[in-house]
Amino acid sequence: MTAPTRPRTRPDAQPDAVPQPAPRPKDAPRTMKDVRLAREGRKKQAGRTLENPLREGLRLERVPDPCVLVLFGATGDLAHRKVVPALYQLWRTNLLPHEFVLLGIGRRPFDDASFRTELRGAAEKYSRVLPLDESAWRTFSERIDYQRLDFDDAKGYDALAGRLDDLDHERGTRGNRLYYLATQPSAFSEIVAQLGRVGLDHEVHGGGWRRVVIEKPFGHDLESAHRLNKEVGRVFRESQVYRIDHYLGKETVRNLLVFRFANGIFEPIWNRRHIDHVQITVAESIGVENRGAFYEETGASRDFLQNHLLQLMSLVAMEPPATFAADPLRDEKLKVLRAIAEKSRSDIAQDVVRGQYGSGWVAAESVRGYREEAAVDAGSETETFIAAKLMIDDWRWSGIPFYLRTGKRLPKRATEIAIQFKEVPHKLFRESATDPDPNLLAIRIQPDEGIMLRFGAKIPGLGIDVRSVTMDFTYGSAFAVDSPDAYETLILDALLGDASLFTRADEVEQAWGIVDPIIDAWADSPPPDFPNYESGTWGPDAADQLLARDGRRWRRI
Amino acid sequence: MVDGPSTAGNGAGNVGEILAVGTRAPGSGRVQIDVPAKPGEPTLRWRSRVHTIPEIEQELARIWAEPNLETMIEGEPGRHVAARTSVMNLVVVARRPEVGERSAATIQLLTGRHPSRTMIVSAADPDGPSWLDAQIQAHCVLPRDDAPEICAELIYLTVGGESGRHLDAIVAPLLIHDLPVTIWWPEEPPFGKSQAMDLLSTADRLVVDGSGWSEDGLRRLRQLAGLLDTTMLSIRDFALVRQSRWREAIASIFDMPEFLPYLPSIRRIAVTYATHDDSGSPGSTNVVKPVYHVAWLASRLGMRVHKPLATNDGARRPATRRASPPARGGSPHMSRGLSATLGNGRLDVSVVVRPVLSDMPSGTTLRVELLSERRGSELRADVTAEQESVHVRVWVDGVEELDRGFSAPRRNDVDLLAEAIESGSRDPISDETLRMAADLVGPDAERPKLAQPVSMGASA
Repeated sequence: MTAPTRPRTRPDAQPDAVPQPAPRPKDAPRTMKDVRLAREGRKKQAGRTLENPLREGLRLERVPDPCVLVLFGATGDLAHRKVVPALYQLWRTNLLPHEFVLLGIGRRPFDDASFRTELRGAAEKYSRVLPLDESAWRTFSERIDYQRLDFDDAKGYDALAGRLDDLDHERGTRGNRLYYLATQPSAFSEIVAQLGRVGLDHEVHGGGWRRVVIEKPFGHDLESAHRLNKEVGRVFRESQVYRIDHYLGKETVRNLLVFRFANGIFEPIWNRRHIDHVQITVAESIGVENRGAFYEETGASRDFLQNHLLQLMSLVAMEPPATFAADPLRDEKLKVLRAIAEKSRSDIAQDVVRGQYGSGWVAAESVRGYREEAAVDAGSETETFIAAKLMIDDWRWSGIPFYLRTGKRLPKRATEIAIQFKEVPHKLFRESATDPDPNLLAIRIQPDEGIMLRFGAKIPGLGIDVRSVTMDFTYGSAFAVDSPDAYETLILDALLGDASLFTRADEVEQAWGIVDPIIDAWADSPPPDFPNYESGTWGPDAADQLLARDGRRWRRI
Repeated sequence: MVDGPSTAGNGAGNVGEILAVGTRAPGSGRVQIDVPAKPGEPTLRWRSRVHTIPEIEQELARIWAEPNLETMIEGEPGRHVAARTSVMNLVVVARRPEVGERSAATIQLLTGRHPSRTMIVSAADPDGPSWLDAQIQAHCVLPRDDAPEICAELIYLTVGGESGRHLDAIVAPLLIHDLPVTIWWPEEPPFGKSQAMDLLSTADRLVVDGSGWSEDGLRRLRQLAGLLDTTMLSIRDFALVRQSRWREAIASIFDMPEFLPYLPSIRRIAVTYATHDDSGSPGSTNVVKPVYHVAWLASRLGMRVHKPLATNDGARRPATRRASPPARGGSPHMSRGLSATLGNGRLDVSVVVRPVLSDMPSGTTLRVELLSERRGSELRADVTAEQESVHVRVWVDGVEELDRGFSAPRRNDVDLLAEAIESGSRDPISDETLRMAADLVGPDAERPKLAQPVSMGASA
């Protein structure tokens, strides 16, 4: 392994990520008279697309353009579990355009009819609203086609280009295409290169947009991510690339932005003066299931830390963006990642803990250890748990630790951000039998999505005894309406061309720049005695010691 | 579903009378539930009956002082933590008991979604002595098996005599402070009268259903629009909210780039509605919904009213009079409806609102047609709706260019009330539509005046 380099200043990491002021159109109105005439409709205002005024105030102020969604890996697990049910749900609720085609691409020999039958089975199994609406499914399935293609077969892409042209002609999809790569990561480069070779990336003047959605993992280290970014960048402009981290599509994660920036009372205390530390936990109770081979190559650091955990951290820590648009938002997240203090080898030894689960009991079931899982090396050194203490070197967060942990085979599935506030500066109620806990704000991402605020209250009685109580907001109780699945949100955003909830190339590389040194350091030193935590526990003892050294402890979830 | 109020008569009800399934625990209003609570199904957990405002306040406090609202879990007495939850005060004005019961049923289905302190207020025996009968209930709902119960209060208030003319004085002391106040007036609000305006002055939001108003409904529609200027009320009319599926379908036509340029050049808007009246004469059928269609289009497209709605024979719209029956022996002559002229700054836009005999509920919109002319080319759009879908067809120069259906079921009162409540503060699109509707109706109705200025209050 080569020594890592943090991409703090590399300008080529973001080919066209930094927005530049748009040049003024040559025929844009210049005088007050021009503007007035344009507004009166007497002269078309140049450089401005006509908008539909009837959309104002409706459920969607914009609707996706007619388009073909070209789903690579259409016969795979991700397509079946997530993408197709999300598309069906969008269709069922009239959020997709009438001129919409889902063109499945895969190696298996389906025809259109058998592929539709296959997808119906997936929708019946994984759709979040069941039973299927027969009428909606019928009209949706009429828009499903299949094209057999080996991803490295150049001729196949020529045929694909022809098929897409035909679809534009027959179904009125107007040359708009969303390429969705739900394949093994190893196929990303090849597919993108082939799309470029046959010109399927070209946004034809007045003839439609081309976008590509890429699933994680985006690279397996900084170098590979940078290489992949370059390969994708040779074909698509950054503004055409939508890298999915499905956590960003979750309702509570999106609500985090609303919570922080639509309420006036939290932002003034959202800083080092009032906050003691932050804990972010992404816990899974499941093991690696049938993904042993994949997990052997990734581990918890690549699978969760590099993306979900660091994304959540940047949303918690970022400054308010100037506007709620893709680039201002991502600029602010990137600043957080850039400000995360670089760790030396000794820092890593002290501040990062790795673990691997052994056998144990989870949810009243006996489960085997990681090394006994299928397709896992009996002497595997892959971590299934990671806990880390990260510091952000900026004005707002200097000196405030962010404790991150994620792992498999933990006691429960739970994702939570806990903002631990400082103790009161002066203890006024000394006679109270117990000291109240400092205030805590817990943002539950899943399950029981919601927000809890803990504060001290007087226990009824003659004396002054203080006890902690909570104010609890849960989405399920307050709204009692189903939240859309993250994939529904993200696919609709990609179809609308809104990249706010997708990660940019420079963000991805910066995150790898944080994780790479950890992986390198581990590669150079033997792991602890793996397995070092029992299934059904909250990770190795060292994770507790990580906080105990600072006089803190993990929040019980 | 629980029982509604018994008719109060002289108000001599018994405190703690059992009104619902279950047995009342001795000495309290707690209702013992014999079957386990099911997620999503509201359960009556408390009831009592009193006759003064202080007694009502006392009872409301008692409900939540009960340490344990028990329920049965797997056949054993157990407890889900029951918490009072209120996101607003909801006041329903129901002149008839059946309206109150129907409203209560709708509200109970919203307990988990928009828990509120609900008061269903009705006045009775206006010429007798003053009296008050209050039935207090608490309904709880389990959002999920593993979630705590959410409980909300429902108070049936029946007011007799002079007190019935001062509903605001009954309601005001029972409002939870700092929470927005929504008044749902399912029947016909007497906007011009002081008792209605006094009550509205306590509210932040008003929810009505203009499609249920008597005669053509337009005079009251004009009065409703007047409230936008004289109050700070956020107004929602089910008749307008219900049309969202139409609006989505009409807007979708102009999402298509080739049709969008025709939008500023609309020359004619025609709305066909159902009537059960053989003559279909203006005034005989509520036309609030068809007028809203025109008003929405006109307001979104920046049009102005040049000539307000008038009968198609040129006479001014008879505001409320029902037409004379057809001459004996002669076949009824179907009216040509109402017409108006709008302008968009460059062109006159003709408007036709015409009746058609139909089995559909009277006043239901059957069809919206648009005609646009641009540079010698003509676009015609035709939108129709059925129970579960909306259908759109478009012709350009006589050639059919679009024919599509949208799955869009009609919405029930629970959905409509939920949306009306969720929308919170004033909705500019709704307000502009309402103002345009009033302009279309013309200046033949007086604007109601509030007895006193409305406070801003809290809004959600």
